[in-house]
Amino acid sequence: MSFVECCEKPLSRRGLLGAAALTGLAGAGLSTQMAFAAPGYTGDTLVVLSLRGGFDGLSAIVPIGDAGYYRARPGIAVPKSQVIAGDGTFGLHPAMAPLLPLWQGGKLAAVHAVGQPDPTRSHFAAMEAMENAAPGTSIRSGWLDRMLGVSGASGPLAGVSVGSARPARLLTGPAADLSMASVNALTLAGDSAKRPIAAALRSMYADAPAAQAGPALAADQALAATAGLRGTAYAPANGAAYPDTELGAALRDVARLIKAGIGLATAAVDCGDWDMHDGLGTPVKGQRMYDNLTDLSLALAAFAADLGPDGLASVTVLTISEFGRRVAENGSRGTDHGHGNAMLLLGGGVRGGRTYAKWPGLAPGALIAGDLAATTDYRSVIGEVLQKRCGLGSLSEVFPGVAPSSFGLAAART
Amino acid sequence: MTTRRTLLAAGAATALATAGGLSVAAPAAAAAPATALLAADPIAHLLRRASYGPTPQSLSEAQKLGVAGWLDRQLSPAKIDDAECDAVLARLPLAGAGIATVRGALKAHSYEAFGQLGRATIARAAWSNRQLFETTVAFWANHLHVAAPSSGVWDSRGDYDAQVIRKHAFGKFADMLKASMRHPAMLTYLDNRSSTTANPNENYARELMELHTVGMGYGEEDVKAASRLLTGLTVGKDGTYAYSAAKHATGAVEILGFTHANATAAGGEAAALALADHLARHPATARRIATKLCVRFVADEAPATLVTRLAKVYLDNDTAITPVLRALFTSPEFAAAVGAKTRTPFEDLIATIRALGLGPEKSGVAALDALYNAMVNAGNAPFRWSTPDGFPDVAAAWHSPAGFLMRCNNHLNLATGWYPSQLTRPTDLLKSLVPVLPGTYGALVDALAVRLIGAKLPAGHTAAVLSVAGKLPTSPLTAADKSLAGHAPYLIALVLDSPSFQLR
Repeated sequence: MSFVECCEKPLSRRGLLGAAALTGLAGAGLSTQMAFAAPGYTGDTLVVLSLRGGFDGLSAIVPIGDAGYYRARPGIAVPKSQVIAGDGTFGLHPAMAPLLPLWQGGKLAAVHAVGQPDPTRSHFAAMEAMENAAPGTSIRSGWLDRMLGVSGASGPLAGVSVGSARPARLLTGPAADLSMASVNALTLAGDSAKRPIAAALRSMYADAPAAQAGPALAADQALAATAGLRGTAYAPANGAAYPDTELGAALRDVARLIKAGIGLATAAVDCGDWDMHDGLGTPVKGQRMYDNLTDLSLALAAFAADLGPDGLASVTVLTISEFGRRVAENGSRGTDHGHGNAMLLLGGGVRGGRTYAKWPGLAPGALIAGDLAATTDYRSVIGEVLQKRCGLGSLSEVFPGVAPSSFGLAAART
Repeated sequence: MTTRRTLLAAGAATALATAGGLSVAAPAAAAAPATALLAADPIAHLLRRASYGPTPQSLSEAQKLGVAGWLDRQLSPAKIDDAECDAVLARLPLAGAGIATVRGALKAHSYEAFGQLGRATIARAAWSNRQLFETTVAFWANHLHVAAPSSGVWDSRGDYDAQVIRKHAFGKFADMLKASMRHPAMLTYLDNRSSTTANPNENYARELMELHTVGMGYGEEDVKAASRLLTGLTVGKDGTYAYSAAKHATGAVEILGFTHANATAAGGEAAALALADHLARHPATARRIATKLCVRFVADEAPATLVTRLAKVYLDNDTAITPVLRALFTSPEFAAAVGAKTRTPFEDLIATIRALGLGPEKSGVAALDALYNAMVNAGNAPFRWSTPDGFPDVAAAWHSPAGFLMRCNNHLNLATGWYPSQLTRPTDLLKSLVPVLPGTYGALVDALAVRLIGAKLPAGHTAAVLSVAGKLPTSPLTAADKSLAGHAPYLIALVLDSPSFQLR
């Protein structure tokens, strides 16, 4: 019955999702696949890329119009002459060249001088606060878990983290989530009709303590939901060439899950090693910031190419990082922990090609304890995306007390 | 009106039911408490925590010695014969080698010494008889964490393990902290080596307070002052620690109750070490270390009463660790915490090797390579945590669907001998675990569970285990049963897959 209803509404995204699931997984047991779409969710797939360690937004989205930047970083500033897509106020680090077509095509934007309300310079306190995103409340879940809860998305693959088997704190909470090192690593050795290990585990964990039962039963559902994927090799489309990096592999798997149409509402991916106290360096190959931004840009560019314009139309990627870095460089050609930062937004619905900011300036008097002031709460930027691209109404559950930004940085999803 | 969503759900439920029980039963409302899955025997409890998992030999020895006697013996590790483990370590000569030796043996930036250190750590966890020492070493290595691999410590990371962590693991924390402060691996990992007088690098100064000692509660001014005081602690051209007076920023400092005139460049190192002495004895450090030890050995939620007592023991003994360990393992809070910890992927793997009685490979390290790589995939290979906070130590940080599958895959791979295939195995694994076959398959699984876990599985779990062999608990078992050999590794693996074995 549900099958018929699904196919009577071919133009709805929901119906399309269901149909894609059936096509993509034919052979894995047609009728069982109906459970794996995210039937309640009609928004973009939201990909959250966590740039761990404290991303230096000032090196990535360079404030070329601010003399304070050049005064504070005599050894490691990106010269105005070397930025790309400069607009007189900001310019992109030259290592971001692989993303230039997306920027010029209006699919990639930046938001500057964003940050958290609490200016802690501790990585660990700041990451926890960033992922919880509800300071001063008794809420302990991750904001992406709350987004899933409000969005109506359900199914074993609605909320996924890729790149590590460890659970993602962003997805901690009541909504089911699945963490995986990779799609192909999601296997159960020895399971067969003759040796029904999966069935035995299901039975054994049905009455286990909840902390144990949850992952075991989610694993079981995930195995079934991805059965059709593991057997087939994945070939990226449109000549997309993912770099041979952890991020490249993770985004490749995210694209694979998106294209399989099996109900991915949101994916969390980590991209670490941004804590450049030492050797952040000048914008040349071999220096840490240059090399890291190159890797990041190549992976994102490949991801966008793989999805193609039609796929990217229903995907938004955003970056978060626990804090920005100190405006002044230190003696190690690096920077210490700071505050205000930049975010990147990539997607078909992003109004890109520009940097959004209420720029506070980098004159000594404008700094907060030596750091870029955060004039925009990072949650308000995400809030604007959630409302315009993910179909959320009120933000009160995801980001209590936060109003969405009014930059107009994304088009409303139609 | 029926919504589409309910239709879908109903359709899915029907389909799942007809597809042969693919649907997932909701956890029963009254799930068994975790403690009920393990035997309360205090000796077995001690060995599940203070060692990487009981073996018949370690249980028998500890039963003879009693808790206090076992602790006495384990706290004098040099007196415990460790020949079997030492024979494996001899194949990994760079694991704890000095900096000059590593530099002489390898090309710069080689990963070889990292690899040997990781494999040595697995070998010691699995096969050393000095189990309390090894679990304590792991605690401190995670507390004063220096990631391996990480850049710039290719030559010094093994030396750090030997000369900072292992050397002081049963000594005084203040001494270990000062040794770490003067070690090139720490000074490199947290960037102090490149700090300068004019623009101090704050990385080490912050983590010295936040992670190594007092925890949150320091201020940004403390970070700035400490980063100045620590300038000059660096690394020389030969890769060893060096104090460079020319790189030291002088001037009075005040840091969390520590004051120092810091008047001369020549006196900078002594001033920095005085700060370490102050921080190691700070009451906040005492509570923080007591709390972390409780989370490691007692329960994810550290018992407040025990934290308070251990912090006092720590301070009363001038940061000596062994009195704290004794107090912890003989406390009522510890005794009451049976089954209150969950094995990390690493602990699950090592406990499996120990429970199954798998020994080191006869030569080479191919099996250790495989075990190490299995832990890389699980995100829990020794020292392979990138940030300086060390691996998380609570169940919630490891409970994941993919992590669960990896545990199960490791159990089957080890029980069958598929992978790694080189470990020394009992000639007949089943017979070594259950020497006398009982009369039914149910009794066989009971015997396996008692041997591998220390307690029978709940009846429903026993039935589930037997379903992989198409048997019922009442199915008769005789020595003439030709299918038994084929079933055995699956039954063994499924017992290890049970919720009971995940607990320690």
